[in-house]
Amino acid sequence: MSTEATATMEIERMPSESKALPPKPQFEPLKAHEMSDGRVQFRKVSVPPHRYSPLKKYWMDIYTPIYEQMKVDIRMNLKARKVELKTRPETPDISNLQKCADFVQAFMLGFDVPDAIALLRLDELFVESFEIKDVKTLRGEHLSRAIGRLSGKGGKTKFAIENATKTRIVIADTKIHILGSFANIKIARDSLCSLILGSPAGKVYSKLRQVSARLAERF
Amino acid sequence: MVTPVEAAVESLRQISTEPPVWLVPKQELSQAVRAASKLLFASLKPHCTKSPFDELLIEGFDAEQIWQQIDLQSQPLLSSLRREVKKFEKHPEEISKLKVDVEGGKKKVLEEIETENVVVNDDDDEDDDIDMDEEDEDEEEEGEEKEKGREEESENEGEEKGGIEDKFLKIKELQEYLEEDEAREFGTNKKKRKAETKKHEEDTEDEEEEGDDEENEDDTDEAEEEEEDELGLFGGDDESDEDDLGNARYEDFFSRKKSKDSEDKAKYRDMLEEDSGSDDEHVDKKRKDGLSKHEKELDELRSKIEQMEKANLDPKVWTMRGEVTAAQRQKNSALEVDLDFEHNVRPAPVITEEVTASLEDLIKTRISEGLFDDVQKAPTLSSKAPREVKELDDNKSKKGLAEIYEEEFVQKTDPASAPLTFSDELKKEASMLFKKLCLKLDALSHFHFTPKPVVEDMSIQTNVPALAMEEIAPMAVSDAAMLAPEEVFSGKGDIKEEAEMTKADRKKRRANKKRKFKAKAAKRPRANTSVRNSDEGSKV
Repeated sequence: MSTEATATMEIERMPSESKALPPKPQFEPLKAHEMSDGRVQFRKVSVPPHRYSPLKKYWMDIYTPIYEQMKVDIRMNLKARKVELKTRPETPDISNLQKCADFVQAFMLGFDVPDAIALLRLDELFVESFEIKDVKTLRGEHLSRAIGRLSGKGGKTKFAIENATKTRIVIADTKIHILGSFANIKIARDSLCSLILGSPAGKVYSKLRQVSARLAERF
Repeated sequence: MVTPVEAAVESLRQISTEPPVWLVPKQELSQAVRAASKLLFASLKPHCTKSPFDELLIEGFDAEQIWQQIDLQSQPLLSSLRREVKKFEKHPEEISKLKVDVEGGKKKVLEEIETENVVVNDDDDEDDDIDMDEEDEDEEEEGEEKEKGREEESENEGEEKGGIEDKFLKIKELQEYLEEDEAREFGTNKKKRKAETKKHEEDTEDEEEEGDDEENEDDTDEAEEEEEDELGLFGGDDESDEDDLGNARYEDFFSRKKSKDSEDKAKYRDMLEEDSGSDDEHVDKKRKDGLSKHEKELDELRSKIEQMEKANLDPKVWTMRGEVTAAQRQKNSALEVDLDFEHNVRPAPVITEEVTASLEDLIKTRISEGLFDDVQKAPTLSSKAPREVKELDDNKSKKGLAEIYEEEFVQKTDPASAPLTFSDELKKEASMLFKKLCLKLDALSHFHFTPKPVVEDMSIQTNVPALAMEEIAPMAVSDAAMLAPEEVFSGKGDIKEEAEMTKADRKKRRANKKRKFKAKAAKRPRANTSVRNSDEGSKV
């Protein structure tokens, strides 16, 4: 029977090939859940002690968009002092988990929730971190003065850079974190580096003005 | 008995006639002379008819006044004498009638004549003091008066004019003297002079004689003498040969050395020419000075030539040497020389009053006109429209980053529905404020103001009495905007007062009240009400 089948099959195949191919199989994209063979994906973000109480304060603001819109499970492990994120079967895309993790990480770095939420909404936003000692080795009072120069009086220099370049900046002692799009990060970083190296704020302002004007002109 | 004249003469003699004595005015001299002249005057008085003075007044008068008195007496006297002389000239035979004076007086007269000549020469070249001059004249005049006196005597005797030779003791001596004098003065050959002047000498002699006899006191007479001398000489020259003419020089006539020599003569003459050596010296000097013009010119030329040769031989002056450095010339020698070189710089203007005045006038006119020549900025033509300068905002942004990006995205995709930017809002606010301001200004300024149509806008109406509104803004606000009574009244229907109500109305009111209360009670959640139980009961 098999031989007959094969023969018939062969015979049958030939005419089927000549007639039409079977339709191409269309596979749905893998869900996060199915990706690792049905296993759940985890992300764990450690909480630094100084962000502990702000986390507690803004927990609902963090929780709601993650759970509702990103469809990612989130919980706080108090013992381990970590925020854990887990995919759900409803999670549409694996990148959601990563975005949420980035969002939480940004919050831990020091950014505010409305600013960090931009990470969830836009793809092309990044966080760049660098230290003052990467730019110039400063010690003691020079370091303090540089930090002061960066923020300005009442933080106005920092805000000026933020507003001009559409970024958000966090100066945590000697570490500096910038949140924004790639080009804007670059501009902000240049301004901050020039401030670290010693140029006065007025000079930085004038440069920012030029840059922002150029940026605005593009649109 | 001594005549007054003789006494006067004697007194005069006592006074020394040395000219140096006369240099300084002395009292005794002048007094003696005055006394003598007075006596002489008195002696002449009887011969003069016209003079107003009886005697010569001396006390309290100065020399000039005394002289004038004498002059007054003598002038008419002289003229009369001249007439007499002319008469005698015409009729020489009358001269013999005159008596000739004693010979004793001749010498004196001669001496006096000589002194007179000397004095005459002195007078002609006079540099002396006036006093001396006057004294001399006085002396002279006295001498002449004396002579006149003598002559008068002689005339009275009537023998004078006839005895020339008697009077002038030795005519020859006189001649010699004159020649010598001339030779000394004019540097000419005595002998030549002699021949030519002899004729004239006699005439002059006569003149002199007569002059002396006639008492010349005047300068004019003296001048006449001199003139006659000179004339005589000239006359002689005319007749002489050209050689003699050639010998006559300027210095002969107009030499200043005459006075010196004459003074010397005065000195030595009294000693009767004893110092011949000095005279010779005088003569040598005269010769040197008396070189001919041509010779003098030659001398000058020679001296000039010598000078020039000397100059040529000497080393040159530094100015003539070409390039000269400071070391090669004397210190500060360049200051004395007027150097000429090109000035590259314009010399500084000399500030005078005129310059400052002109400057001040200019300044004043400029100020009055307002022309200050201020530098004015050139107007830049902007080709582009002025760019909107985006100001850096150094406050914390109120929007989150997400919102910013959201807005950006929306602007990109759908510009119309984009929310207003910060600048736009500011603009709107600004324009609104400006419109309001303009409305107010128009209300104030226009005669016929038409308010803008009211925009249908939700606005709060204040229930302010119209009067109040009118007071504040009479033009802009009208009564129509006020709330109407029916709008104020919030009730419904016909409102009646308590007193106005009828019984039926009161009943109606009570019935309404009850109904409302009932409705309220029904709405409240009922706890253990009998109504519910009854309902349940009905159901079952």
